[in-house]
Amino acid sequence: MLNFNTPIIDTKEYSEIKISEIEPILKINLRGKSRDFVTKIGKELSIITPVDPNTSSSNEKFNLLWLSPDEWFLYSNDKIGIKDANFLENKLFNEISKVKLGSVTNVSDHWIMINLRGAKIFELLSAGCPFNFNNFKNSKGAVTQTLINHIDVIIHNKNVNDLNLFVRRSFSAHLWSWMNDSARFI
Amino acid sequence: MSKDLRIINNKFIDQTTRISFKFDDKTLYGFKGDTLASALLANNIHLVGRSFKYHRPRGIMACGSEEPNAIVQVGNDDSMTEPNTRATEIELYEGLEVSSQNCWPSVNFDIGAINNFFSPLIPAAFYYKTFMWPANFWKIYEYFIRKSAGLGKSPTKPDKDIYDHRYLHCDVLIVGGGISGIIAAKTAAKNNLNTVLIEDKNILGGTTIFQENECFKINNSYSNEWLKKEIETLKSLKNLTIKTRTSLAAYHSYNYLLARENLTDHLDINEKKDKIRQRLWKIRAKKVILATGSMERPLIFNNNDRPGIMLSSSIKKYIDFYGVKCGQKISLFTNNDSIYETAISLNNSGVSVNSIVDIRDKTNSLIVKQAEKLGIKVHWKSSIVNTNGYKKINSIEIMQLSDDGNDVVGKKIKEECDCLGISGGWTPRVHLFTQSGGKLKFRDEDNVFLPNKSELDQISIGSCNGDFELDEIIKNAADSINKFLKVNNNDYENLEIITSKEINKKNIWLLPSDKPLGKTKSFLDFQNDSTANDVKLALREGFKSIEHVKRYTTTGMATDQGKLSNMHALGIIAETAGVKMGELGTTTFRPPYTPLTFGTIVGRNVGEFFDITRKTPVHDWHVENKAEFENVGQWKRAWYYPIENENMHEAVQRESKAARDSAGILDASTLGKIDIQGSDASEFLNRVYTNAWSKLEIGKCRYGLMLNEDGMVYDDGVTTRLSENHYLMTTTTGGAANVLSKLEDYLQTEWPELDVYLTSVTDHYGTVSICGPNSKKILSKVIPDLDLSDKEFPHMSFKNVLVDNIKCRVMRISFTGEHSYEINIQSSYAKSVWEKCFEAGKEFNITPYGTETMHLLRAEKGFIIAGQDTDGTMTPLDLQMDWIISKKKYDFIGKRSLYRSDTVREDRKQLVGLLTDDPKEILEEGAQIVAETNKQPIEMLGHVTSSYFSPNLNKSIALAVVKNGKKLKGQKLFVPMKNKTINVTITDTVFLDKENKRLNA
Repeated sequence: MLNFNTPIIDTKEYSEIKISEIEPILKINLRGKSRDFVTKIGKELSIITPVDPNTSSSNEKFNLLWLSPDEWFLYSNDKIGIKDANFLENKLFNEISKVKLGSVTNVSDHWIMINLRGAKIFELLSAGCPFNFNNFKNSKGAVTQTLINHIDVIIHNKNVNDLNLFVRRSFSAHLWSWMNDSARFI
Repeated sequence: MSKDLRIINNKFIDQTTRISFKFDDKTLYGFKGDTLASALLANNIHLVGRSFKYHRPRGIMACGSEEPNAIVQVGNDDSMTEPNTRATEIELYEGLEVSSQNCWPSVNFDIGAINNFFSPLIPAAFYYKTFMWPANFWKIYEYFIRKSAGLGKSPTKPDKDIYDHRYLHCDVLIVGGGISGIIAAKTAAKNNLNTVLIEDKNILGGTTIFQENECFKINNSYSNEWLKKEIETLKSLKNLTIKTRTSLAAYHSYNYLLARENLTDHLDINEKKDKIRQRLWKIRAKKVILATGSMERPLIFNNNDRPGIMLSSSIKKYIDFYGVKCGQKISLFTNNDSIYETAISLNNSGVSVNSIVDIRDKTNSLIVKQAEKLGIKVHWKSSIVNTNGYKKINSIEIMQLSDDGNDVVGKKIKEECDCLGISGGWTPRVHLFTQSGGKLKFRDEDNVFLPNKSELDQISIGSCNGDFELDEIIKNAADSINKFLKVNNNDYENLEIITSKEINKKNIWLLPSDKPLGKTKSFLDFQNDSTANDVKLALREGFKSIEHVKRYTTTGMATDQGKLSNMHALGIIAETAGVKMGELGTTTFRPPYTPLTFGTIVGRNVGEFFDITRKTPVHDWHVENKAEFENVGQWKRAWYYPIENENMHEAVQRESKAARDSAGILDASTLGKIDIQGSDASEFLNRVYTNAWSKLEIGKCRYGLMLNEDGMVYDDGVTTRLSENHYLMTTTTGGAANVLSKLEDYLQTEWPELDVYLTSVTDHYGTVSICGPNSKKILSKVIPDLDLSDKEFPHMSFKNVLVDNIKCRVMRISFTGEHSYEINIQSSYAKSVWEKCFEAGKEFNITPYGTETMHLLRAEKGFIIAGQDTDGTMTPLDLQMDWIISKKKYDFIGKRSLYRSDTVREDRKQLVGLLTDDPKEILEEGAQIVAETNKQPIEMLGHVTSSYFSPNLNKSIALAVVKNGKKLKGQKLFVPMKNKTINVTITDTVFLDKENKRLNA
C-alpha cells in the first residue's frame, strides 16, 4: 500500500490560538456559468450555490465557497477516505463536465487545510495579511482570497473565532512555520 | 545628578526610581520617565556632540524629534549599536550606554575642531568645487572627504533584536495626542467610529498637559487639569485604540500610512529579551485627522549654536514635565509671546530669568503683562548680536534694533548666563500632509505654510493647521471634526476659555549684528553647519530654486531633515532674492518623518522568512538522501545528490551517465500543471500554441510552444488529451503562475465566447520521472498490470492506472531523449510512489538526479529551456523550431508578429550548438562569441546560453545564440575570456542520438 503523507501533520497551541492541519479533506474546484450548472450542483450536493461574492453555504457534509462569478470551491466537513473522494469526484465529473455544463477538478492535494481557533487568531493574521477582517470576523460563512506573508490563501469563516484556511501544498510548510513564529509574539 | 538642577516634580516622571546609565563611559543617574536629554541636563551636561563639518561643540537644543544636535551612538555591541539617535527621544532605562558622535578623541577635546579655524576655506559646497579645480587633485581630496563623511558607526554584525509588522484597519486614524487630537479621538469614538489615536510620546496631552498658567484656563481650571479629565474619559470608549510611543513615519496615497511603535526601547535590558523591539503598523484608514502640532523655530543670529542655547519651549518642558532646570541663570530671546510662558514657568520653579530680549516694540498681551508683573526684565526692540563661551554659553551681547530692523544701534550690553532660550515663532508640522500629496498655502501674517488642498479624506486640526491660541484650537478643531466626520458633538461648544492673545507680531529671518555679515556665524542647519552666509553664497553663485540651494549648501539634509532650519533658509532666500516666500515653496517632505531602523522596515522577513520557499511532496526524501538544493523561483529543487565527497561536477557526471546507461529518477513535481475542461478546449489550445491540436487523439500527448503577442517564445510544455473535452497542460516551473494568469486573462477579455475552464493543479500532483534504458523494466515492477509495449503504450501517450489502488496517470514523454515515463499521482502519495520506484529500480542501479543533470541530459538532445536558452527575444524560427509553427491555422497568439520585417530577418540571433576545439574546455554560460579578436571594437555575435561537459559524449557541449547562426554551421568562432580565447565551432543543436533511437530503446 502507498503511504499517505501530508506536509505538516501537527497541531500547535499558543495563548488563545490553536492551529492544526486537518487532512485528508476532499476539495473540488467547480467552474461553470450557466443556470443549469448552478442547479446541478445544488441537486448533486443538496446545497445552495452561493452567488454573492465572498460568501459560502454549508450542509452537514460540505461547504461551498464562492471564489469568482464562475468558480466555486467545495470541501468536506470531515476527513474523507480516497475511495469516497474518488466516487464523489467521478459523480460530479460525469454529471457536470462530461455533459458540458462546466468543469470539475479534484484539488484535494492542491490545497492543505489549516484550522485556526481562538480569540487571538485575527491578531495572528494581522501580522502578515493586508485584508480587513473587521467585518469578516463577525460574518459567519464569509470567504476571502488574500495573502498571508505573501502567500495566496483562501480563508473561510466557519464560526466565531474558528477559521479554515487553505494554502497551496507547496507553500504550506513555510506558512505553517511563519504562523508558529508569529504566534509566539501575540 | 546635580541637586541644584532638579526640582521636585513627580507628575510625569517617577523621582523615586533612580536609573543609572553611561554617557561617554561615565556613569550618571536619572529618574524613571526621563529622556536621555533630560537626564543629561539634570547632570549639567549640555555638550553632547560635535557638528558635522566644523566640529563645533553642540548641546541639547530641543525636546523632541526636531532635535538637530543631540544625536548619539546607543550601545557599543557590534550587532546592536545604533547611530544618530536623538537624545531627546531615548527614554532612560537601566543599562543604557551612549556615546557622543563625530568627535575624537573625546567630545571635550576633539581634534576635528581644527576645521572650525579653516572654516573660511571650506564654505558651502566646497567639496563640489574640489571636483573642478584643480581636477587631478580630487584623488588627494577624496581620501579626506570620504574619511570625514557620515555620522556615527553602523553595526557590523546582524541585528539580534526582533521586529515585526502588523496590519491595521480603522474608520478614523488620528495622528497626534495633543489637545486637538484628544478632542478628535473622543468625538470619533463616541460616535461609534472605529478610532485609532497614535502619539509618539509615552503619554498623551502634548504641551497642554503641563501648561499650568493663569493665562490659559478652560472652565475655570488650568488647561492641563481640564485636559487630564478629557484623557480620563477616553479610557471608557470601547471603539478607541490608543497607541503611545508610536510615531507616524509615512503617509501614502489612499490613506495608507506606516507607523513605528516602540515596544521595548524604554525597558531595562533584562526586560527586553525575546520581545518585539519595534513594530511597523501598516494602517489603512477611511479617514485621517492630522493633529501633529507645531515646532518652535530658533532665531538666526551670530554664534547661535553654542551648547546651552535651546528652544524656549523645550526649556519649559524640561522644567514643567521633567523637573529639570536647564540653567541657573537663564536669558531668553524672542520675537513672539510664547517665550513669556517659559519665563513664568521658570520663575514659578525658582529659576531666575536674567531678562527677555524681544525684537518687537512693546506689547501688552496678557502673558507679557503677567511676566512683567513677576518682575522679569524685558529688553524691547533689541537683539542679541553675539554669544560667548566655547563649550557652553556664558554670556550674550545685546543691542537695540534700528527702526527698520536691519541694523543694530546704541550701546552693547553684556549679560552673563548659562543658558539661552530662543523662540522665533512656530512652524506647523505639515510634513505628513505634504507626504500624502496635499498642497500647501502660505500665510503672510505669521509666515507659515498651512495645509490647503488634498485629494484624500483627511483634515488637519490644531496648530498644524495654523491655530496657535487655545480658544481657536478648541473651537476650530471641534467644528472641523464635526463637519469631517458628519457628526454633531457639542461637548466643546460652550466652554469658557481664557487665553492670552498675541497682539504684536514681528519677524526678522536673519538678525543683524554689529559685525559685518562675513565675520559672523549665524547657523541655519545646526547639524550640517550650514550658515546664513552659505545660503547667500549659493544665491550669489546662481542657485535660485530652494531644492538647488538645499543640495548646494546641505541645509536641511541632515538626519533631522531640516525641521528647524528649512523655514529660515526659505526666508533668507526669499528676502535676498526679492521673492515672496509663498511663491518660493518648500523643499519636498519625503518619508520617513523620523528615521526608521532597518529592522522595523524588514520586520520578521529575516532568516528562514527572508523569502518564501515551496517544497515538493518528495522534498523530505531528498533531504534524507543528502541532496543539495537549488532555488528555482521559490521552489527548493534537488540540484544534485553528492555521494561521499563529490563536488557538483563529479555528482552530475555520475548521475547523467547512470541515466543514459541504466536508469535515473527525477522529481518533476514543480512543473506547472493546468487542468483544462470545456467543449472549446481544443480550439483554445489551437489559439494558445503555435501548432495544431484539434486532431490530437484522446490518450496522446503533444509538445507545444507558447508565444507572446510579439511572437517571442513565452513558455513551453507537454499537453495531454485526457478525454474529448479535457486536457492537462504542463508549463515550465517558473512560468506556471504567469501562464495561468495570461490564459485566464485571454479567456475573460479576448475569447469570452469559448467554453473553457482552467484550474491550477500544480500542487495536486506529484510527478516522478523515470528515464533510461531500464525504465520500462522498473515501471513494470511498480505497475505489473500495465502493458508497456511500444504498440500499446507508445512515446507521447498516457495511461490511467492504479498503483496500489491509488489513481495515477502515467505519461510516456521524455525530456532527456531516453525511454522515459512520468507518473503523476496525488501529492499525498507521491513520496510513497517515488520510494516504490526507487526500490524497484535498485537492481538496475536507479540513480536519483537533480536539476543540474536534467539540464545536461536535455542539452545533449538540444532541447531548450524557456528562460535559459530564450530571453524574450527569440522566435520559434530563431530556435530552429520552424516545424512547430502550423501553416494551416487561422491564428494563434503571436502569429502576426512572426511575419513582420524584423522577425523574418535572416541575420537574427539563432540557436546553435557549439563545440570547443579542446573537448575538455567547458565554456562559461553568458560568455560572448566573436568572429574576430583583433578588430576594435569587437562585434559581439551572440552568447553561450547553456554549457556542460557531457560524460556520455566525453566532450564539452554548449548551446548558444549567434547572429545568423543557422548559416554559420561549421564555422570557427571565438569566445574571448579574461586570460585566454577559446576556439569553438558552430554545430547542430542535437549532440546525441540524432535519430531518436533511444526513445524506444
